[in-house]
Amino acid sequence: MTVVIGFEGSANKIGIGIIKDGEVLSNPRRTYITPPGQGFMPSDTARHHRAVVLTVLQEALEQAGLKPADVDCVAYTKGPGMGAPLVTVALVARTVAQLWGKPLLGVNHCIGHIEMGRLITKANNPTVLYVSGGNTQVGYRLHRAAWQLFGQISNDPSPGYNIEQMAKKGTQYVELPYTVKGMDVSFSGILSYIEITQHCYNGDELPVALQETVFSMLVEITERAMAHCGSQEVLIVGGVGCNLRLQEMMGVMCKERGAKLFATDERFCIDNGAMIAQAGWEMFRSGQVTELEDSWITQRYRTDEVEVTWRD
Amino acid sequence: MAADGETNPETGKLEFSLDVPFPSSREATIALRSLSPDREPRRGGISKHLSVSGSTLSVRWSADEARILRVSVNSFLDHLSLVIETMEMFGPPVAL
Ligand SMILES: Nc1ncnc2c1ncn2[C@@H]1O[C@H](COP(=O)(O)OP(=O)(O)O)[C@@H](O)[C@H]1O
Ligand SMILES: [Mg+2]
Repeated sequence: MTVVIGFEGSANKIGIGIIKDGEVLSNPRRTYITPPGQGFMPSDTARHHRAVVLTVLQEALEQAGLKPADVDCVAYTKGPGMGAPLVTVALVARTVAQLWGKPLLGVNHCIGHIEMGRLITKANNPTVLYVSGGNTQVGYRLHRAAWQLFGQISNDPSPGYNIEQMAKKGTQYVELPYTVKGMDVSFSGILSYIEITQHCYNGDELPVALQETVFSMLVEITERAMAHCGSQEVLIVGGVGCNLRLQEMMGVMCKERGAKLFATDERFCIDNGAMIAQAGWEMFRSGQVTELEDSWITQRYRTDEVEVTWRD
Repeated sequence: MAADGETNPETGKLEFSLDVPFPSSREATIALRSLSPDREPRRGGISKHLSVSGSTLSVRWSADEARILRVSVNSFLDHLSLVIETMEMFGPPVAL
């Protein structure tokens, strides 16, 4: 039996989760809500995380019904993400690891999303579409994406969620630039198009158009990746992945190909501590730990820099 | 906690130091190891050195620019108080 506690705070959410051999024992989370019209800044976000991290830690232990002594390993997000919030959470992880006499383990945030998706959905060998705020990734290609895009017409802590709700009421549609080149998608055309033409619309048609256009692009490259790898499974992970319209569109494509779609809801799609615990669990079981001296955080951390020792 | 700041007449650098007492040398060492891994950003000619002697954590800064020094000291104090709060809530350290 292996129990891992995971600390995540690379952006505006802070979460601490506990996993015992594939079972989520607890997964409390808080979101930093910015003043209206503002994005979240690193230092304000770090201040938010500092103020709540110890309460969230206490909740995680209490809800799991565990004592520190029951924990086998302390996992935390090493990167990628915003520096100040990453450091805040790493400091607490390093300190409790030492207080409790447990090994520490630095986890790549993106790997956390993927491993959590695999755990919850039991997908076997999926093509993974990783769609989050900071970047969007199919296979190992990174794209600037949804937050920036959705940030154009809404600026809440979860602009994507607002878009989804607005689009449900949308009655009209406008055509937006659609740019897919091979496995690359580009959203810059859409951004400037919206910027220039925003005043022409009453606001009703843009959410619908955004979702339909962006998600079509994502479905197209996912389908291409599947054909390329001969894959019959798709797993959607990352915050945007809880969007039901995206899941629906992806589902239609999968059905046509006789493939299977796997996705999770906001508890596990949006940044959370359990995802770091789960990736940490896999890494720890395969023999990895992070020495304190090597436990620095890193704002840039590519997924393919991680040596995968827990899967062949 | 004791703090001291001045300009070094030989190097012309701004220097600042801080001594933080802990309940034991074990706790001072834990704080040192929690606070050490993240490097200072390499700008403003700033350097920061942490050490433990007995149950005291000592930090020495040296910098070219007051503004950069201030930012570094402020953020260190935020980090230090979080580490101390963590120790208060989730300590004391288990017997080795
Ligand atoms: N229902 C939704 N539809 C579309 N996007 C969503 C939805 N819910 C959340 N998002 C988006 O998910 C992103 C957050 O993803 P997440 O992986 O939690 O964070 P990060 O990218 O910071 O790691 C935000 O851009 C948010 O707008
Ligand atoms: Mg994320």
